[in-house]
Amino acid sequence: MASDTVLIIGGGPAGLEAARLVGDLGAKAVVIEKRDHLGGTPIAENYAALTHGFRDAEEAMDEMMRGVTHHPNVEARLGWEVAASEGNAGDFKVTVAKSGNGASEVLNAGAVIIATGFQHFDPGRETQMYGYYEYDDVITLADAEHMLKHHKFVKPSNGQAPERVCFIQCVGSRDRQIGNEYCSKVCCGISSKQAIEIRQQVPGAKVFIFYIDMRMYGYWENEIYWPAQEKYHVQYVKGIITEIIRKGDRLLVRGEDTTMGRPMEVPMDIVVLAVGMEPSRGTKDVAQIFGLKQNKYKFIEVPHDALDPTATSVPGIFVAGAAAGPKDLDDSIGMAGAAAAKAVALVRRLAKVTA
Amino acid sequence: MTATTGFIPYDAVNTKSSRKFERAAEYAPEDFHKHVFELEAEGEWIVQRVPEPYVEVMTKYGRTKKIPLELTWHHKSCGQCGHIPGYSTAIFWLNRKLNFKYIDPTDQTSCTAWNYYASATSNAAAQAGVAMRNFAAAYETGYYPLIHCGTSYGHYKEVREEMVHHPEIRHQVRDVMKKLGKPLVMPEEIVHYSEWIHAVRDRIAALQTRDFSSIAVTVHPACHYYKLVQEDAIYDPDIYGGQRTATVSALIVALGAEVRDYSTWFDCCGFGFRHILVQRDFTRSFATRRKIEVMKEEANPDVVITHDTGCVTTLDKSQFVGQAHGLNVGVPVMSDAQFAALAMGAHPYRVCQLHWHSTDYKPLLEKMNIDHEKAWAEFQEDLKKLKSGEKEYLTWEDVDA
Repeated sequence: MASDTVLIIGGGPAGLEAARLVGDLGAKAVVIEKRDHLGGTPIAENYAALTHGFRDAEEAMDEMMRGVTHHPNVEARLGWEVAASEGNAGDFKVTVAKSGNGASEVLNAGAVIIATGFQHFDPGRETQMYGYYEYDDVITLADAEHMLKHHKFVKPSNGQAPERVCFIQCVGSRDRQIGNEYCSKVCCGISSKQAIEIRQQVPGAKVFIFYIDMRMYGYWENEIYWPAQEKYHVQYVKGIITEIIRKGDRLLVRGEDTTMGRPMEVPMDIVVLAVGMEPSRGTKDVAQIFGLKQNKYKFIEVPHDALDPTATSVPGIFVAGAAAGPKDLDDSIGMAGAAAAKAVALVRRLAKVTA
Repeated sequence: MTATTGFIPYDAVNTKSSRKFERAAEYAPEDFHKHVFELEAEGEWIVQRVPEPYVEVMTKYGRTKKIPLELTWHHKSCGQCGHIPGYSTAIFWLNRKLNFKYIDPTDQTSCTAWNYYASATSNAAAQAGVAMRNFAAAYETGYYPLIHCGTSYGHYKEVREEMVHHPEIRHQVRDVMKKLGKPLVMPEEIVHYSEWIHAVRDRIAALQTRDFSSIAVTVHPACHYYKLVQEDAIYDPDIYGGQRTATVSALIVALGAEVRDYSTWFDCCGFGFRHILVQRDFTRSFATRRKIEVMKEEANPDVVITHDTGCVTTLDKSQFVGQAHGLNVGVPVMSDAQFAALAMGAHPYRVCQLHWHSTDYKPLLEKMNIDHEKAWAEFQEDLKKLKSGEKEYLTWEDVDA
């Protein structure tokens, strides 16, 4: 007998949206989230505002969470992880374990949606010359989000307001040396959004963005990119940064200004590394547990990124959001809807067959 | 107030960021060990095991690397022997003082890196053949190869990659070795002498007789040590938060001297292989303007310590040009081996042979409380005996006298 339950792994934006839609479609959704809270990376990493529209991230995610926690067809299990799986489409038997106390149980599911997301690239892994683990004033986009959320954008080393801030784009993305040849899609937009927020919160600070080329697709062009330059006077400098060192009580950013065709050395108070996306630990683990094909970057492989972005190599298992590759919120939410619809359609079709 | 006030107001080695770097081997390039042993199982070659006792150190991605303590076969460096003979003497002296068995072989050739890096003649099989011939020569003695030269070390690791992944080269080299009557041998690890010093730094510190607490040091890390096949270089969370190679810097810390950071730490010494051959003026100006002058202005060290022949030579011997042009230079340069030997009481001339160095090292020796005039007089006496024929050469007994 096919199960009418859709198991959703991951309680971030994609998982929440998928769960809500599965519930709205009248099927039963169970969300397994290994953290002790829903909301995924935007909540865990203290995002300040969403890149699209500058909406408060916590408020937006609260709304998404309420869509799940108050839904009669949705059950959310916090602090649980998937440990094993067997069975096929229509009849998966998934062992889930409660972290900490060793309890486990087997859940029956007709379909599974993987929404285990991404993790930020660790700038200490290959780009030691940016000094993230040496200098407190070298921070990442996530660190900056945290400070911006609390309206306290200061030099971590001494708590003072910065006079000069820069962003370095494509840290851990578009980098053949590291092996992450892909564009992480959102870092240009997030950096520009943060540049605006810094100018709003610390009006005296000069803000620079060092980039290979800015990828500001869709409405972000007018919403973020041009206002950053025209209204907030953020300075965009085309060039590659090679090294950051501390000089005196400041950071010295070294690289090449490719427009001018010459090397540059610029002092900064805070350097923000625009770190890209990599598959999360959870994404890699569930791929192993469910036997899902992964691409060369360890994201979950789909039959076609554009035409069939939510199927996986295992029938009955779908994927949504950044578990399948770098995604912004637009992509993640869109995928979640498609995955939910396909999962519910599948369990209903199988229910008819086995009835 | 620190001693660096006025230059860089912090100590980069001892002041760590509040963040903690978690290493993950999963991001590392593939582990060559697996292939090396697989090829042995397939009968392709012999793997020479690191002899016991060995020390396990951590490499860039958190993997361990075995560093042999003794039974080492010392693959010396062309430039070391020619320009800074006290370099290799100091390594041997340290081995003797630590009571380690080693061999100073005569059956060794150059590594051919000059051909390789200077875009000169030769081919992949010939390059690899020379490396494998040297490995076989070490294996035949029963001692384990310890590579003195940073360039050979880097080059041999690249050869290992070629030998593992290109069967056609491996088979060509195997034929060459057959003609030479030597076995095809790949060491379990390719080990640089400075890794050995790193592994025994606490033993060296335990035998330290001279107080180095007033000595300020800048470290120049050798490109061929940590930029080539980078996953094989030693890193330590306690040194620069595990973000820069720990070799040399960790030794200085162990000896109680002060490591001072400077802004061109990552830069080459200027040697560059091609530059030293065809653009020597570039090498000279790079070494003085990008390295020595920056160190002087930002850290004002008493000495520069490095771990490669080319680096010691370039940084030391280029400074005379800077002096001629009135640049702010004049810092003694030596290897970690020489510095460690001095710490353990080695003779500055009989062992470390500092008279081969161009920069003025005497103020440094005074700061180390070494009576260099007395030492020089002793050395002059040695020379008299050599000139008169009373002695044919100096021996270890003379050194320890």
